[in-house]
Parts: sequence; C-alpha cells; structure tokens
Amino acid sequence: MDDTNGRKFQKELNGGLVGLVLLAVLAQSDADLYGYEIAKRLASANDGTSIFKEGTIYPVLRALSAGELLTSRIVPSYSGPPRRYYRITDQGRAVLAEWRSIWEGTRNFVDSFINKDLP
Amino acid sequence: MNRTAPRSIDQYLRQLREELAGADAALIQDASYDAEEYLRAEVAAHPDKSEADVLELIASTYGSPEEVAGAYRDTEIKVKAAMATPRKIPNSRMGGFFGVFFDPRAYTSLFFMLLCLGTGIFYFVFAITGLSLSAGLSILVIGIPFFLSFVALSRVVALAEGRLIEAMTGARMPRRPSYQGNALRFWPRMGMMLKDPRTWSTLAYFLTMLPLGIIYFVIAIVGLSVSLAFMFMPIAVTLSRLGLFGYGAVDVFSNVEPAIIWDTPLAFVLMIAGLLLLTCLMHVARGIGRLHAMYAKSLLVARTAPGTMSVPIEPGPLPAHTRRFPQWPAS
Repeated sequence: MDDTNGRKFQKELNGGLVGLVLLAVLAQSDADLYGYEIAKRLASANDGTSIFKEGTIYPVLRALSAGELLTSRIVPSYSGPPRRYYRITDQGRAVLAEWRSIWEGTRNFVDSFINKDLP
Repeated sequence: MNRTAPRSIDQYLRQLREELAGADAALIQDASYDAEEYLRAEVAAHPDKSEADVLELIASTYGSPEEVAGAYRDTEIKVKAAMATPRKIPNSRMGGFFGVFFDPRAYTSLFFMLLCLGTGIFYFVFAITGLSLSAGLSILVIGIPFFLSFVALSRVVALAEGRLIEAMTGARMPRRPSYQGNALRFWPRMGMMLKDPRTWSTLAYFLTMLPLGIIYFVIAIVGLSVSLAFMFMPIAVTLSRLGLFGYGAVDVFSNVEPAIIWDTPLAFVLMIAGLLLLTCLMHVARGIGRLHAMYAKSLLVARTAPGTMSVPIEPGPLPAHTRRFPQWPAS
C-alpha cells in the first residue's frame, strides 16, 4: 500500500511537536545533552526508531537556542567536530509549561472525536 | 531528486550540499556541521561496522540528504519570519525617505561603522602579528604548529566577526564553524590549510578591515557631526545669546554671523539641511551595513565545502585513535 498519505500526515503533525519534545527531553535531563544524544533518547523511547527523522532536530535545536529557550556550550569531541551541548533555560521551562497545556488540550479535543467507535 | 544512497560521510555531506544548492552559504555550513557531528558520532558508536554499513542505516534514522535539506529550509524560513522585526511599509516617497529613522538596522549599522575602527585595528594587528611570527618562526620547530594555531584561531575570530555582523546588519552568517576533520595526519592537514582559499581570504578580510574601518569611522563621525551641528547650531546660538549656554554669560558664538538665530530664514535652511544630511547618513549606514555583510560573507564563508569533503575518506572501521578514547562525558 502506498504510504504517501501517512508520511505526509506525520510530517505535518511533526511541524510543531519536535520543539515541544526537545524542550521536554532537555527539561527532564539533569545533564546537558548534544544533538546525537537527544536523537538517540528519542529513538530508544520508541523501540529504536524515532517518530521523526533525527536530522530534523538539529535546525529546531538551533531555532530554540536563537529564541533563548535553550543555552548551549561547545565541548571538543574525539569522533568528529566539537559538540554543542544544550540546556533548557527558565524561559524555556515556562514556554514548555505553556506548550504542554496547549498540547494536552489539543490531544483531549482530538481524542474526544477519534476514540468514538468508528462506523 | 533520485540519486544513489550515500556510502560514506563524505558522499552524504556532498549530497546534502547539492540538495541545499542555492540556499544561503551560512545555512549550508551549519547544516554540514550538524550532519557531520551526527554521522561521525553514529560511526563511532558502531566500531564493529564499516562506515558504508552505518550509512545504510542513516537514511531511516537521520534522514536522507533530501529530507534533511528540506528540514533546514523549512526551519530557516520559520525562524526568519518569527525573528524579523515587523516593519510598516511607508506608502509615500517621503515616508520611504524618512522611514529610515524607524529602521533599527540603520542605527545598528551606524554603530557597526563606528565599531569597525576598533575591530579593524584588532584584526589587522592580529593578522600581521600572526603572519610575521609564522614567517619568522618557520625555521624553528615551533614554526609550523604556531602557523596551524594561528590559522585555527583566525577561523574562530572570523566566526565571531560573522556573529557580530549578523547582530548588527541582520545578514545571515554561520552559527557553526566550518569543520576541517580531525582524522587527518599533520602534514595533509597543513597542506589542506595552505591550499584552502578561505584561509587566505579570511586573512585578506582581516587586513582590509583596517582601511575599511577607518573609512567607515570617518563617514560616520563626519556625517554625524556636520548634520547635528547644522541642526542644532541655530538653537545653540540663540541659547548662548540668552546666556543659557556656554561659560557663564559669555556668548560662545560671538564670532558667528548674528543672523543665525531662531527666527531667520538661514536658521531654518540650516536645520532642514542638517536633517536631510542626517537622513542621508542613515541611508548610507544601512547601505554600507548590507554591502559589508555581502563582502564579509564572500571572504569568510566557504562557497564550496569545509575541508573534509575534499579529502576522500576510505570506507571501513574508524582509525584506532578515534576508538581508544572514551566518549566525552556529558556533564
């Protein structure tokens, strides 16, 4: 079966969700995390495959950082270029709380329709 | 775009750059850096697999070059739209001319012109000192490591200059350094730095920043002082004659033509001329800001590729030294 519709729907859903998930991952972590590490955490939470392509989280991390929701620092790495470690800011936590309530409201609204018995 | 799946990090990055062709050079540099960080970490995390095997998995985890390029383009557009200061578009020619006073970029560009004298002197001294010491020390053992450190430091300074230019003029500049690869041995790395045109264009930028900084500073200072003097001289003369300005009750403008006071046509003409001059200066500052950003981008940002991409990397397990060390702790 052609899964184009499914992929398109997933991509549209992911638009705003990546930022929410990244803020949540960083808010739950005691240590600062770098892009690859975050990508692997997301994948391990979903049996090894991430809902969204891991390459899409880097530009979103940069956008969140530019919006001062995250701070970052650079640490040298033996395997490749120096890594940028991210940490959530107080402003980021406030935005996360707001986004979370929006997400919960949206989820409940959607659930109230799709959880009904379909004909 | 259909193409063969990349079999090495080098190929992946090349395809990613091809997908981003036409996008901002700074965006391409950032995307290549992020991809390289991920891909090398992924290869290092699977020491038992060859680079080609790891790359096969990449399409389903990190995403194909096409998907990643799409994500960068989308995010860039969204971030640019969200960060842009909303501007009212003046609907008359007059509004367009004086509207420059409501554009924050005009003020920041003017400040940048003043700042350029300081940064220009610093860059010039940095480049001349580095080059002279590199030449002088080249006969000693420390000469080559010194030159390598100097070139590496010049890239850090170039990145900082890019950030400054983006803050002042709004032009998109790289947010990540261009990565040269650390798997290379000493001599190939040295040769690559010497052959990389960006090494020399960065130094050329540093050297030209001194004359440019002087020119910008002079334009800004002369423009500001002449236009502000024209605008406020009639007021200053009047206040001085009333004994409210100057040293005690002394008329500091006693040698100025008595006609220049508030209610004369000459005073009015002077103030209008000052205002027009100041407006022109703001337009010039904004224009110089844009031109300088283009100039900086052409010399400081690589048009083609960061270093590793021009150096073929043999597929296979990583060199021993990359496996021997533990991963950097995430503290």
